[in-house]
Amino acid sequence: MSIQDIVVVGGGIGGTMTANNLVTKLYPEIRAGKARVSLISNDPWHYYKPAFMYVAFGMFYKDELRRPLHSLLKPEVNLLLDSVEGFDFKDSRLRLASGENHHYDYLVVSTGCIPSPERIPGLKEAGDHFYQHDPAMQLYHKLSTIDKGRIFIGVTFPKTPNVPHQCGIAPMETTLMLDDFLRKRGVRDKVEIVYTYPTVSQLLRNCLFLQRDVGEVLPSVFDSKDIRHQTGFTLERVDPDAKVAYSEEGEAVEFDILMQTPPIRAVDAVLDSGISQAPNNEGWLPTNRETLQLEGFANVFVMGDTVDLPISKAGGSCHNQSPVICDNLAGLMRVGKTVAVYDGKVQAIAQMGLDAGMPLWYDYDDDVMPTPATKIGGLMRKAFNRGIYWSVARGMI
Amino acid sequence: MTTQLAETRKQSNGSFESFLQDNPQLNDAATQDGMAALVEKLAPLLQGERFHNVVDLLSAVSDVVDMADDAMVQKMMKGYEELATGAFNLNNLMRYAGAQAGAEKDPPTVWQSLRRLNADADARRGLAMALAMLGQLGRQARRDAATLPEN
Repeated sequence: MSIQDIVVVGGGIGGTMTANNLVTKLYPEIRAGKARVSLISNDPWHYYKPAFMYVAFGMFYKDELRRPLHSLLKPEVNLLLDSVEGFDFKDSRLRLASGENHHYDYLVVSTGCIPSPERIPGLKEAGDHFYQHDPAMQLYHKLSTIDKGRIFIGVTFPKTPNVPHQCGIAPMETTLMLDDFLRKRGVRDKVEIVYTYPTVSQLLRNCLFLQRDVGEVLPSVFDSKDIRHQTGFTLERVDPDAKVAYSEEGEAVEFDILMQTPPIRAVDAVLDSGISQAPNNEGWLPTNRETLQLEGFANVFVMGDTVDLPISKAGGSCHNQSPVICDNLAGLMRVGKTVAVYDGKVQAIAQMGLDAGMPLWYDYDDDVMPTPATKIGGLMRKAFNRGIYWSVARGMI
Repeated sequence: MTTQLAETRKQSNGSFESFLQDNPQLNDAATQDGMAALVEKLAPLLQGERFHNVVDLLSAVSDVVDMADDAMVQKMMKGYEELATGAFNLNNLMRYAGAQAGAEKDPPTVWQSLRRLNADADARRGLAMALAMLGQLGRQARRDAATLPEN
C-alpha cells in the first residue's frame, strides 16, 4: 500500500494546529509508514495575529507575538517552506513556487485572508488598520501622538452575502481600547471618537454589530464612555488630501485618523483556482458547513478565513474546526466516510478596554449573549495572549 | 440585574425591610425556593463556622485578582510557556526517537552506532548539547558544594 500524503497549506493558527492534531489523530498510520503529514508555509515565522491590535496601543513587541514555525510543530510534521502558486483540485496537485508539482491524497486549505485597503479608493493612502504588524505600528505612532481632533472608526464587510469581516469583535474591542488609551494619555476630552457600522452587516441592517444582542447593548456602553456611534456608514472612498471619508449612503465626514477595518480577500493562489463562487473577486471557497469539505472535492477540507461560511474569520473558529477536519479526514481514510459535524462553534475572550475582558461563544444557531466585562475576563485574555495561545498552536489545548 | 437591584435599593429609602419586600427578584417563587435550598445546604457550614473559611478563601482569591496586573500575568505566562514548551519538546523527543529505535529489527552494534553518530551532524550536535548540559550540572554541583566565607 502506498503512503497517504496529507498536505496542510498555511502556517497560521489553523494550519499549524491542524498539522499537529493530524499527527495525533493519525499516529498509528504515521508510525506504520502508511501516512505522512506535510505543512506548506511561505513564512518561517508563525505570528499570533490577534496581537497586532495590541501593537496599535504599544502593548506588544514583534518578538513577543511570533515564534519560529518549526518550534510549534511535532517532529512528524514535514515542514516545507515554499509558496503554493496554484491549486489543481481535480488532479490533486499543488504547483509550488520552487517549481515542484506536489501530489496529495488529502488536502487542508488554511491560507487565511489578506487585508486589501487598496480596494477602496484613497483608503490605503489615508486610512489605518491593525490587522497586520506594520500598519498596526503606523497606527500606534498616530494614536500615541494625537492631541486633538477626530478618530473615525469604520468597518468594511465582504460583498459575499452573509460572510463576516476579519475577527468580528475587533472593531468594538479596539474602540474601547482606544477610549482607555486616550484617557491614560490625558487627551480623551480633546479627541472625539466616532464608531460607525455599515448599513449591511451580514444578515442585519442598520445595526452597530453583526449580531443583534451585542448590537443592542453597545449604545449604552458607548454612551457611558462618550463615544459617538452611528449606523449606516458604508465607506465608499476617501479623499486623502482633504482627509474626508465618503459613504455609499451619501455622507462626507472629516477625520484626523481613519481607523477602518479594510476589505479582505483570499490569497492569490486560491483566487486563481477558479473554484470560488464569491462575488467581487473575494475568493472564499465553497465549503460544506458541516463536514468542512470543499464542495465537489471530497478529499479537500477548508478552514479558517478561507471558507465562505457565516462564521467569524478568527482563530476561535479554527480551534473548533480543526478537530472536525481531523476526525473527518481519519474517517475517510479508515471507514470511507466523514464522521464529524461542525456546529459553527466559535469562542473567544473579547478585550473590552485595556484591562477588562468578556468571554464569549456562539455557533450557527445561537448568537453571543453579552455579559458584563470584568477584570478576571481581562486577566484571562492576557494569559491567553501571553502563553496559552502557543499551547493551542501546538495542539496541546 | 445589578441595575435593577440598585434601583430597588434607592426606592426603599435605606430600609432593608422594604428593600426585601419591594424587590421583584427576591419575591419570585423560584428565587425563594432556590434560596431555601441553598440555606439548607449552607446551614451546617454556618453553624460550625466553617463557612468562614470559604469566605476567607474567596477574599484571598479576590485579593489576588485585585493585585494582578499586566506585568504579573506576563511573568507567570512566560513560566507557563517555558514549562509547556519543555513538556512538548520532551514528549516529542521521546515519542519520535522511540519510534525510530523501535522500528529497527536488530538494534545497531556499538560500532555501527558510533559510525552513525560520526556521520550525522545533528546527532553530534545533540551529543554536544548533552555534554554542555552535563558541564552545567557539574558547575552547579561544584558551586553548591563550596563553603562560603562568613561575613
